[in-house]
Formats: sequence, structure tokens, C-alpha cells
Amino acid sequence: MTTETLLSVRGLSLEVARTSHKVVNDISFDIASGEIFGIVGESGSGKTLATRALISLLPQAIQVTGGSISYKGRDVLGLNAGQLRRLRGAEVGVVFQEPMTSLNPSMTIGRQLEEGLILHTKFSPDERRARILEMLRRVGIRDPEGALGAYPHEFSGGMRQRIMLASVMLLKPALLIADEPTTALDAVIQRDVMELMVELTRAEGTAVLLISHDLPMVARYTSRIVVMEKGSIVEHGRTEDLLEAPQHHYTKKLLSSLPFRGEPRMVDMSKAPMVSAKNIVVDYPGRKSLFRKAKAKRALHGVSIDIHEGEVVALVGGSGSGKTTLGRTIAGLVRENEGEIRFQGRARDEDWQDYRMNCQMVFQDPYSSLDPRMTILALVEEALRLVPNLDAAAKRKRTLETLEEVGLDASYASRYPHELSGGQRQRVAIARAMARRPRFLIADEPVSALDVTVRAQVLDLFSDLQKRYGFSCLFISHDLGVVEQVADRVVVMQDGRIIEEGDRDAIFDRPKESYTRRLLSAIPALDHNATGGVSLKWRFDN
Amino acid sequence: MKTFTLNGIIGGILIAVLLATAALGMVWTPFDPMKLSFTARLAAPSAAHLLGTDEFGRDELSRLMVGAKASVWIGFLTVSFATICGTLIGLVSGYARGWVDGVIMAINNALLAFPGILLALGLLAVFGANQYGIIFALGIAYTPSMARVVRGAVLSLREREFIEASRVMGNGELFTMFRHVLPNCLTPITVLATSMFGWAILSESALSFLGLGVPPPAPTWGNMLAAGRPFIQQAVWLGLFPGLCIALTLLGINLLGDALRDRLDPRMRGLK
Repeated sequence: MTTETLLSVRGLSLEVARTSHKVVNDISFDIASGEIFGIVGESGSGKTLATRALISLLPQAIQVTGGSISYKGRDVLGLNAGQLRRLRGAEVGVVFQEPMTSLNPSMTIGRQLEEGLILHTKFSPDERRARILEMLRRVGIRDPEGALGAYPHEFSGGMRQRIMLASVMLLKPALLIADEPTTALDAVIQRDVMELMVELTRAEGTAVLLISHDLPMVARYTSRIVVMEKGSIVEHGRTEDLLEAPQHHYTKKLLSSLPFRGEPRMVDMSKAPMVSAKNIVVDYPGRKSLFRKAKAKRALHGVSIDIHEGEVVALVGGSGSGKTTLGRTIAGLVRENEGEIRFQGRARDEDWQDYRMNCQMVFQDPYSSLDPRMTILALVEEALRLVPNLDAAAKRKRTLETLEEVGLDASYASRYPHELSGGQRQRVAIARAMARRPRFLIADEPVSALDVTVRAQVLDLFSDLQKRYGFSCLFISHDLGVVEQVADRVVVMQDGRIIEEGDRDAIFDRPKESYTRRLLSAIPALDHNATGGVSLKWRFDN
Repeated sequence: MKTFTLNGIIGGILIAVLLATAALGMVWTPFDPMKLSFTARLAAPSAAHLLGTDEFGRDELSRLMVGAKASVWIGFLTVSFATICGTLIGLVSGYARGWVDGVIMAINNALLAFPGILLALGLLAVFGANQYGIIFALGIAYTPSMARVVRGAVLSLREREFIEASRVMGNGELFTMFRHVLPNCLTPITVLATSMFGWAILSESALSFLGLGVPPPAPTWGNMLAAGRPFIQQAVWLGLFPGLCIALTLLGINLLGDALRDRLDPRMRGLK
């Protein structure tokens, strides 16, 4: 290959200025022009800081202590402020993770897109407008003329990320840095945005530096990958080689943490279902104004779902599909407008006390689901407050026992949530839900906010507990990889309706609906080989 | 681990001195604060009268010591009144929402539209100008801002998942409100209450200055400051020392308030 090197990083080291704590340690890599290059690592691996350094956008507290970065033969670290400004945007574009905050909420899309063109090109206003409209059309905005005068909040997350991509690609940069560009989006939209990014950059000959924690996603689009752990590059190679024959134990650990399909379990479906929701309709009231009441928005259109004793039913769908609303309705957090929910053969509303004792919930965000002013012990013990026939000593014993079960020893009991990592907090949330030994658990995206390896541990914990206590579970997730690992049965939702349901294997191997296929096409099927590597097969790839 | 910052220690010392002075003033003062002496009118600070005397020859230091008690007592009761009422109103309003919130906030906003001192003046006209009239009037005047701040905090808290988690556990609304919502509102409440303490002492001074406060001859820092104003040319100490007392007290309360807020929040512990 005779492609020229676009960007070359040699021995780059970064540290926190005040404490001399090393955050990036002697990393080197090259990116050829037109290439798609990936950096994979979990939170805290230094991947984001390393890429920030490429365009000198480091936070003040971080300083470069060694190494060099050369872009087209120029030393980036030696550039002055003016030269850097010409480099950023015009030569190197950046797409950040959070489409909700990376666009200025008080500026119209048109003005935001025009900004870069005014700064870096000499086009006339008419030419600028023509180029912006063309680019918006290319990224799939339906009404580009209308979008020019619209504000960011009028677009969904996926659309915003497309607009962000448009604003970067307008300047035809030679390198695009995409830092977790699709992490905040749901699986289907994630894939659309990635495909669009690849298509646009290929057309313009732009090289891409793709940074993510999601190894399969990065592997799908890149030709070469580096894996980072704790500030160092632990492995470096061609994508296929790295996946199929990983050398470093951390890469192996990452690969083995990917969700896999478990053995199918036998669930007794002959008995009456433990939880049964019939024809649930939920309307969100429209906003009241002085003169009229806006029409209510129907979130669920008559949905029915059964969950049997000991069964794990996964509820999947994109954002806005109504899956979370259904979970919250069954939990009693949202009132259904029509329909009935039965628990163990009785109407749920007949005996709330019994239902609350036996139905518990694990929330998505371990950072906001725990009261920050309570200790871990108090948090878990609170779950036992209303349990009858249990004296204080028994409650304390049960609390410590439950903490032990989720892998937190007694030394954690007196700590506060902010002193724990995300994975540990989610363990506390699970302990709180399990302390009552519920018969039925609702888990709303319980592992979506966690790192890959932590996610695997929490899923293992969940399976262990499920095996031990045999509770039934409604597992809500947009990530089909996780669902494939834990679910017995899968229910697919779209636009407030159930469009398909069936055994896990049936849904994953023989989906009927095209929407289910699109969901599935976002995750790979894994084949583990003997050396600890995997080969990824993409389903329904076209 | 450092348990208190330097600021907290300074604030604590200032407040301790204030409380000690107020307590001492109740049992002993160098001179009788009410005793007039025409031979020693407007005397400059000296060995006999450490902080000088006022236009009636009364000892300034003794009067400040007695006044400290009145000022502290008025500030403390006013803030307690406003904090308890405002917090309860804000909690109910933010947690219940709907028409309850609508009605409470309509009244609250109407009260907020008046300047606090004007509202207090009007209320004093009703309750009469004495110590408890002031406490009541200022307390009512300050309640709306506390209610508003607490309601705002509650509104953002009630969307958090740990509040829903409490509901899923079957906890009652009241339990959830006092166990999970209220403790998480403590930060804004502490911040506002400490600055309110300052406002209360200042307002009491202002009201006394206008002749609507604690009636003379009983000394408060505010009416001493007011009484000293005409003599500021000849006897600067009459304005200076009560002013200094007010300023140092406010400084102490603010420093201590910040330190307390950080102490009360487990998230701030162990940082540094």
C-alpha cells in the first residue's frame, strides 16, 4: 500500500499537571489518509484525552509531557493559536458524543452550519447556502430549507447527530475525529448514523478516527484498531487479526465480555402467567394552554403481555417505542387509562401491599437511582422497612446478606453512593430490589450505562440471582446483545404496539418483521474460537 | 482529613464570640446600659468607656452587649420562622403539583412582588412595633423566597429515579417527602437561611432606623446605628461600632453557613 501517512503520533504522554498523575502513557499510532482507524477502550482508558491532544483541545489541568504529533508532516504541538484554529475545522473535524449538547441551543441550524464556512472559506453567501442545503440533503434531513431556520431542540438525537456530521463534513476535512458518536443513540439509529458517516467520508476521502467503548461497532467499520487500557496501548493491529487472535489479556477480556447466547432454559408455560397485562392503553396528557387543551399523546395502544413464573421476558425496541412506559405502567408508576394488570391471578389493584412486596424494579441510571445522602446500608435496609414479621436484627442481617450476594462486602455498608463506581452502584440498586426477595422484577435498561466488562459482571450477577431465587423478570433494553444473553422470550415494540414476540431463538434466528431485522442488524452474532478470539457475523447485512 | 476549612473556623470563632457576648450581656455589663450620664456625653473611647459613650452618656460597649442579644434573637427567630414555613410550603407545593401548587404559588408570587421591607412595614402596622411584631413581620416577608427555592429544588428532585424507587418500594408520599426529598434540599435551604439571617439583622436595623423597630430606650444594633447617625461628625464610634458588629456577624454567619453546608453533604466530604 502506498497511501501517505496523514497523522502520526509518537510516544505521546499526558499527565494531570497538579498531581503528576499519568493519564496517557507513551502511545504511538499512524493514520493513513482515507483510512478508518479505531481506538477502543473503557472509561478511564485515556482514549478521549489522547484524541483531544491531537487538536490541542486538552483541559487546562492536563499537560503534554512527552512525544510528538505530526499532521501532514507538521508538528501540531508546536503550532500557535492562529495556526491551530486554521487546523481545527478546516483540516480536522470533530463529532462529539452528546448530540444534545454539542449544538448551540440558541442558534438556528443554518447559522451554525454557516459559521465554519465563513471562518474557513471564501464562498459568497449564496454559495454557502447552496452548499449547506446540499449537505443537509445528503445527511438525510427531509426538509433542508425548513431546517435552516429551525433550532436544535426541534430535532431528535439521531437527526442532531446527522446535522453535526453535516456541519463537520461541509468543510471537507482530511481527518474526522468521532468520539463515541453514536453511544447516546438507540441501536437502529446508531447504525444509520454510522453508515452515513462511512458513506460521506468515503466519498470525500476523509480519514476517520473512531473512538468508542463498543468493540463490535468499531470493528465493523475500521481497518485497524488500537486497544487502550489505563492510558496505554495494549494491542495494535489489523481489525480481523485483533479479533480473531487477540494477544493481550485485556483484549481477550473485552472480547469475552461481549454478550453471548446462553443455553435455552425450560420455563413452565402451562400454568397461568404470574403477571398478565391486558390491553393496556396509556395517554400522556397534552400541554394545557389558556384557550385549548392539546390532544393527548397515546404512548401505548392496547398492549398485552404475559410473564410466567421464573421467566425472563425481554422488552425491546428503539427510543419512543413505549417499552419504558409499559414497564413503568406495570410497576404502577404510570396509571393506565384502559386495561387491566393481574398479578398471581388477582387484579393488581386489589392488593397493592402484596404487589409492592413482590414486585421490585431496577432503574437504568445508577447515578440517579440511589439517594446521594444515604449510606449503602441505609439504602438497602430501607427496602425492608415495610416488610412485615421481620425484626430490626433480622432486617440488618438480611441487608448484609443481600449486599454480600451482590458482591459488596460489609466494608461498603457505611459508604455513600458517590464513593462507588457505576458498576458497584448498580449492584447496590440490585441489592435494594432483591432484599425483599420479590417474585417479579422489572429491570429498565439495567446495564446500558455500564462499561463493557462491568456490564458482563452485572449480567452474570443477574443470572446467578435469577437462578437462585427463580424470580420472573421483565427486562427492558434497546441492546439486543444483552437480551440475547439473558432472555427466555423476546417481545418487540414499535410506536406503542407489540409487533412481534416469541422465544429468544425464534426471534434472533427467524425474525418476521423488518423492524426486528433492523434491530438485529445492529448487533453481531459471535463465534468464539479456541484462542480466545471471536469472529463477528453481522445479521441481515446488505 | 481536614474536617473544617479555615473559613469555617473563622466563621465559627466569630459566631462563638457573638453568642458569648450576647450571653454575657444578659448577666453582666461594664455599666448599666440604661444609665444616663450628662458628664460623659459623647465621650471618645477611653480606659473607662472602652467604646465611648453616646449622646446621653450611656456606655456604648454595654449597650452593644445587650443589643447583641436582641439582634441575635430576632435574627434567629425570624430565620427559623421563614425556614420552617417556607420549607413546608415549598415541599407541599412542589410535591403535590397540580392545583395545590397553582394556588400556593399564585399567593407566593403576589407576596414576592412586594419588596420585603415594605411588606414588613405593612405587617408591623398591624402587629404593632415590638420585638415579636418584627419577628413575625420579617418572617412572613421572607417566607415566600424560601418557599420558592425549596419548590424549585423539589421539582427537579421528584423526577429523579431514587424518588421513583421509593414509590416502587411502597413508601408513602409523606415518608418519601421527608426521607428522600427534604434531605436533598438541605443545600439550598442552608445557603438561603444563612443569608436570610444577615438580611434579618439588617432589616431589623432598618426598621429600627425608621422608628418601627424595637422601641428605645432598649438597645438593638439597628436603633443604636440609627441613633448615632446625627452625631457621626463628632462621634464616629457611635456609627462605627454597631456597624462593625453587624458586618462581622454577617461575615461569620456566611462563612459558617458555607462550611456547614459542605459538612452536611456527604458528597463534599473527603474531597480535597
